[in-house]
Amino acid sequence: MELSHEDVKKILEIVDASEHLHEVELVYGGFRLHVRRGAAGVTALADDRAAFAPAAKPAVAVGAPPSSAKLAPEPALAEGEVAIRAPMLGTFYRSPSPGDPPFVEIGKRVQADDTVCVIEVMKLFSSIKAGVDGVVMRILVENGIMVEFNQMLIVIATSQ
Amino acid sequence: MPAINRLFVANRGEIAVRIVRACERLGIEAVVAVSEVDRNSLPAQLATRAVCIGPAAAGQSYLRAETLVAAALGSGCQAVHPGYGFLSERARFARMCEDAGLLFVGPRPESIEAMGEKLAAVRIAEQAGVPRVPGSDRIETIEDAHRAGEHIGYPLLIKATAGGGGRGMRLVQAARDLAGAIESAASEARAAFGDPTLYIEKFISRARHVEVQVLGDGKGHVVHLGERDCSTQRRYQKLIEEAPSPAIDDRVRHRMCEAAVRLAAQVTYRGAGTVEFVYDPERREFYFLEMNTRIQVEHPVTEMVTGRDLVAEQIRIAAGEPISFSQEEVELRGHAIECRINSEDPASNFMPCPGRIETWNPPPTDDQVRVDTHCYSGYVVPPHYDSLLAKLIVHARDRSSAIRSMSEALAAFRISGVTTTIPFHREVLRHDDFRNAAIHTRWVDQEFMPAMSTTKSGARAALARAAG
Repeated sequence: MELSHEDVKKILEIVDASEHLHEVELVYGGFRLHVRRGAAGVTALADDRAAFAPAAKPAVAVGAPPSSAKLAPEPALAEGEVAIRAPMLGTFYRSPSPGDPPFVEIGKRVQADDTVCVIEVMKLFSSIKAGVDGVVMRILVENGIMVEFNQMLIVIATSQ
Repeated sequence: MPAINRLFVANRGEIAVRIVRACERLGIEAVVAVSEVDRNSLPAQLATRAVCIGPAAAGQSYLRAETLVAAALGSGCQAVHPGYGFLSERARFARMCEDAGLLFVGPRPESIEAMGEKLAAVRIAEQAGVPRVPGSDRIETIEDAHRAGEHIGYPLLIKATAGGGGRGMRLVQAARDLAGAIESAASEARAAFGDPTLYIEKFISRARHVEVQVLGDGKGHVVHLGERDCSTQRRYQKLIEEAPSPAIDDRVRHRMCEAAVRLAAQVTYRGAGTVEFVYDPERREFYFLEMNTRIQVEHPVTEMVTGRDLVAEQIRIAAGEPISFSQEEVELRGHAIECRINSEDPASNFMPCPGRIETWNPPPTDDQVRVDTHCYSGYVVPPHYDSLLAKLIVHARDRSSAIRSMSEALAAFRISGVTTTIPFHREVLRHDDFRNAAIHTRWVDQEFMPAMSTTKSGARAALARAAG
């Protein structure tokens, strides 16, 4: 969805008219509109992670958080590479059923609509598509392992 | 006896931190479920492992029973602690855990079901000889409602059998308002719970909310850990809780705790639960309201006066162990008060204020001052969940010392970046009605806030003064 100039104007009018509203954030699919009263103005951000970026003033380091986050570092992507991520938590399978050959192997050429793996959540299987045309470069997860939401699964080198 | 060496925490925020700490004490590994915005949360950092279960919206993460069960199994856990809120009182989730071979840290699904349906719970209470608020059976028609109204008398309360949090609830002053209130309550209940069934109870004015903490071993043995008084509420949301209740004497306390134990024993209750009562200070009578089948937000005040770790006890019971102490060993010492510090603006109708916490500087803690929280300097309070930042709990030898100690702790609590309810708490604590235990469950709404905000600027000034 795209917001038109007219839509943004309407939203601003609503914010302006309401006494208690200081800040509005609209998220629709990958689109994000962030409106704040006062100096900050309007920002439209495509990337979710930027929404709560640190304020200019650094935080005072009292009661600071423990430093070690429990996050495995994500593998780096080379130029032209795209990672297929898990759209849900579940068990990762490389083949449609045990004994069947895997959907893809390293070096295989895939099209956006090809299934590359399935994820199972309590007997419910979801097919995961490549999403892009290209060649399978890396398979990051072992068969039968639980993957987390948004975890990188397979790296594809896109063919332009 | 099934041993637990890894436990799945199906919750977030301060209660997730609380559960992780209990696991540490018991030598159990904790795996915490996190949504995408909670990946770096304090519970995630303290736990053995964090598992990302979905995007920020609770409906796609913390409320997804299937995903949580898959995550608990996939991370090799033997038990699931649901905390409070989210799926903690969904019988279906408890059943799914058990069907998957996971121990559910809570009551059996049948107990959750029975207590979740308010009229069924009232019937169980009656069977156990626990008095209910004078009231009706289910209301099918407007004629039913009028008959019940005549019988019970006005003012009365309309309630939803599937109810909770004040939704589907209406106060009716006179018979002429009944039909309209029934209609709007039914549609609100249908929207909120998918069930429009209503019943009617007598409205007890100037009532206090007093509740009893119980623990059951699931084999028929139940102990109580005294009561909590949660009368400082705003729109049915508790703000300040204390133990013991300043409004009841030992005789009432004894009867109330005995009633709670009988009720829990009636359903062979397993785990931690709370039996809530309406207390009428004029008649010195209490009436059963409902039973909450989970650990509650305000459990620390009970822990402070009893010296018992309720969350550790919950986990032990889930593992099939007996309750680690007897009723005779439960001793109530001194007085404890808890203030819920929310990121809300009391001067703007308690509007939630999510955002980045720049300074988080709680008062020094020791065995008399406790802070349960998931916040720290630089933490971003996400807009997707509730606004609870911290629970500040103090313990002292008596109530007036506890009020003094709480006032000092609130004054020392420095938070910047988000607006909080600290100034509100400071004003309540210095109010004579609170100090004299002369408040009731509608006092904040009907007396305290209106007096504070005769003019909006007056309220701001008062709250700013309290903040300074």
